Amino acid sequence: MSCLDEKNCPEVRRRRLALVMFGLMMLVFIVLSGFSFLSSRGQVTPDQVSFGANQATAGKRVFQAYNCMDCHTLVGNGAYLAPDLTKEYQDAGPAWLAAFLPSAGGWPTEAALRTQLLNKEVAADAGVDSLDAYYRKYPGAKDRVDRRGGKTTFMPNLPFHGNEVGELIAYLKYTSEMDTEGWPPKVMTGTLDHRLALLHGTPLVVAAPVAPAAAANVADTHDLAEHGEAVAKDFGCLACHAVDGKPLVGPDWGHLYGAQVKLTDGSSVAADDAYLTESILKPNAKIVAGYTPGVMPQQYDQLLKPDDVKAIVAYIRSLEKR
Amino acid sequence: MMQISYQTQRLSMRFFMLMATLFVVQVGFGLLLGLQQADPTVLAGTLNFNVVRAEHLSLGIFWILSGFIGAILFVGPLLSKRELAAPWLIKFLFYALIVTIVWNMATQSLAMKGIAGWWEGQPWLQQGLEYLEAGRAAQVVILIGFSILAGVVLRTFPPRKEWNEIHWGLAIGVVALTAVWLFGMFYVSRLDLQEYFRWFVVHYWVEGVWEVIHISLIGFLLVLLFKVDVKSVGYAVFWGVALVWLSGLLGNAHHYFWIGTPEFWQFWGSLLSAMEPLPLVFCFWHIYLDAHQNRRPLENAPAFYFILGSVVLEQVGAGILGFSMTFALTNAWSHGTWITPAHAHLALFGTFGMLGIGAAYYAVPAMREAANFDQRIGRLAFWMVMIGVLGMALSFALGGTVQIYVYRTLGLHWFGGDLFPAMGVYRLLVAVFGFLLAVGAGLIAFDLATIGKRTRSVMANHRAPRAASGWGRPLSGFEAGIWLTAMWVFGGIVTLSLLSYNLPRVRVDGDPTLPYLLAGIGYPGLLLVTVLFVWRFLASMEARTATAPAVMPAAAVAVAG
Repeated sequence: MSCLDEKNCPEVRRRRLALVMFGLMMLVFIVLSGFSFLSSRGQVTPDQVSFGANQATAGKRVFQAYNCMDCHTLVGNGAYLAPDLTKEYQDAGPAWLAAFLPSAGGWPTEAALRTQLLNKEVAADAGVDSLDAYYRKYPGAKDRVDRRGGKTTFMPNLPFHGNEVGELIAYLKYTSEMDTEGWPPKVMTGTLDHRLALLHGTPLVVAAPVAPAAAANVADTHDLAEHGEAVAKDFGCLACHAVDGKPLVGPDWGHLYGAQVKLTDGSSVAADDAYLTESILKPNAKIVAGYTPGVMPQQYDQLLKPDDVKAIVAYIRSLEKR
Repeated sequence: MMQISYQTQRLSMRFFMLMATLFVVQVGFGLLLGLQQADPTVLAGTLNFNVVRAEHLSLGIFWILSGFIGAILFVGPLLSKRELAAPWLIKFLFYALIVTIVWNMATQSLAMKGIAGWWEGQPWLQQGLEYLEAGRAAQVVILIGFSILAGVVLRTFPPRKEWNEIHWGLAIGVVALTAVWLFGMFYVSRLDLQEYFRWFVVHYWVEGVWEVIHISLIGFLLVLLFKVDVKSVGYAVFWGVALVWLSGLLGNAHHYFWIGTPEFWQFWGSLLSAMEPLPLVFCFWHIYLDAHQNRRPLENAPAFYFILGSVVLEQVGAGILGFSMTFALTNAWSHGTWITPAHAHLALFGTFGMLGIGAAYYAVPAMREAANFDQRIGRLAFWMVMIGVLGMALSFALGGTVQIYVYRTLGLHWFGGDLFPAMGVYRLLVAVFGFLLAVGAGLIAFDLATIGKRTRSVMANHRAPRAASGWGRPLSGFEAGIWLTAMWVFGGIVTLSLLSYNLPRVRVDGDPTLPYLLAGIGYPGLLLVTVLFVWRFLASMEARTATAPAVMPAAAVAVAG
């Protein structure tokens, strides 16, 4: 320290000043922090947000348990392999998320979205009464279905169970409602076609949505099982039901036909045509041991024609032989 | 000084060896991440990207800490002029650290099944937060470990009246290391509040604690390497730490721009964290002064190489690249993109990793009494990891520049369809430079493990002396200032590149020419100047061996006080 004498010691004075400045900075930081979390700011908190019966507070625990943050970003923090999820709910909406999350390895089709919208809980949360209205309210859902519907994603299938999908949707609803001071920056470069043209040089031909397989004339189909597979894919059944012995959200279909199925009440039942038909149309009538009632959409009795149901059963029967 | 003065200094050896081992494993996980970035289907379903990244980040923290602990244990007795207190506690700390690391590596993979180990509202096995992936159980053990380290250091140090600035720096460092860790140890249900406290740990560790330990250790290593005056280093350590804290305390605000906290943080964050490079410029300048004070020849080249690398990459990665994205107007674009890992790899591996390796290169030959150890592998490995990490930063930064345009300006968030093809070549380059870094890491681990043990060529260090002209002529202060200015000019171009995304021409018309052009000049220019400067600095140091007669190593050096 450069002291000329005891009284004239500029270095000591400078160091004291630095300490005082540091104290001041700390005071500013504490005051700013206090103001940041005052309830009068009106920032949304997770205990205020729910999706049906699912709480956003529970969803946050699911989000952390699967370590979503080390692939995705949330409020921009995390890894940079996968998209930012902050405004995902606002962009794609609850029906798209409900169709996507159970089997994230594939992009949902329009039929899968329609199925989810028949769920009163999902429709009420989305606040719409038709697919067209849904697309208007959540334009990201239409982009996703048009450009990617039915294709595979880079996301691995995650073994969500119970209400975890619904809880995650509640959590993403919460982050969507958060005021993040305008981040991410608003996109101002025009329509999707224009933006794609800017990136790829020429306008991409957007693939026309695949015509619903359910509309095809069954009488003309020689192979009922083949038609059943198409229907199952289109309606998103295969998003939850594996056919290769690796159970997803719902029970595995491979080698199911004719087997004895154990139910939650302890009894067992033969997986015949009657049982399978009932399980498609009234999913909660018999619950397989280890699975939760209410997870599978209950609107297939309105969505599927009797011939489609028969075709799906025939498809499941064909899996027995593989 | 090529021998040790106190027997307990030998306890640092095991931590340096652990550091080198973990470094190799961590870089291995990094390579796997690079492959998964290039092809996301690699090991999908077996070892998902998020698990690999959690291992990569956790191990990165663990090996840097091992290096710190090793360095602190090595200099502790020298600073105190007595043996370490309670060496048995240090041995316990070592085994506890290994158990914790293995445990943490195992529990991270539970994320694939969604198991966090909830009990009493806390995630005990893994908690799925970036940088703080360790579950509560591991965190508790780590807290105990930090307390042991702090306790041993404080009990070893002489009475407080005899402390100089290096003692204060290290004492504050180890105590704050423990204290700040506490902020990551409770579950917060609000996202904004959770991020607020998560940055307490991440930012204040790096900016408030690691930086303080870094400055103190660099200062003392320079004292050991160049017999620099302790008082002049003490002056640099005090003002280095003071500037770090004065700018870094409120500088944390740059993490509070978009997490749901109020807008006023944008003002404080942009203002104060723009000053965060000041202590780094200060530290940079002092390493120049200290290294050039008495023109001593370079006895231990690898140790100085890595210490210089640490200070220069701190300047470039933490200082310049950090500066470019610390303003709300630039951060709005860089946030959540590859621009961030460009900064993070240089700042974390560069600053703190290289310091640990440099300290190991100083301590390990001294402990093995290998005064004439073969320094060629160390030199080569330095250039491999230096070029490797700079190349990775360049690939991340240029990839990030494209990513901002596609993702934020055009709003095309379909990674597989639009973003990945657009970033394609850079995703590949990250892995290529990562491979170079990995080979360098392997060399470092091999060299540190076998220094003084392998049969070496007697002539190994007697290579043709570098001429003290051209690149080897003495580096003047004026010239060092020119180099530093050149780095900051390119840093300014990088900042303008990020700023230009706000222009209507880019943001509304969707024309990326300007940001691409500025980034295309700024990043390669910055990193090229960095390599050339390090080359120039080291060449001038190497030339000293040729001009000055070799000085016999002093038996021990009188320090402290």
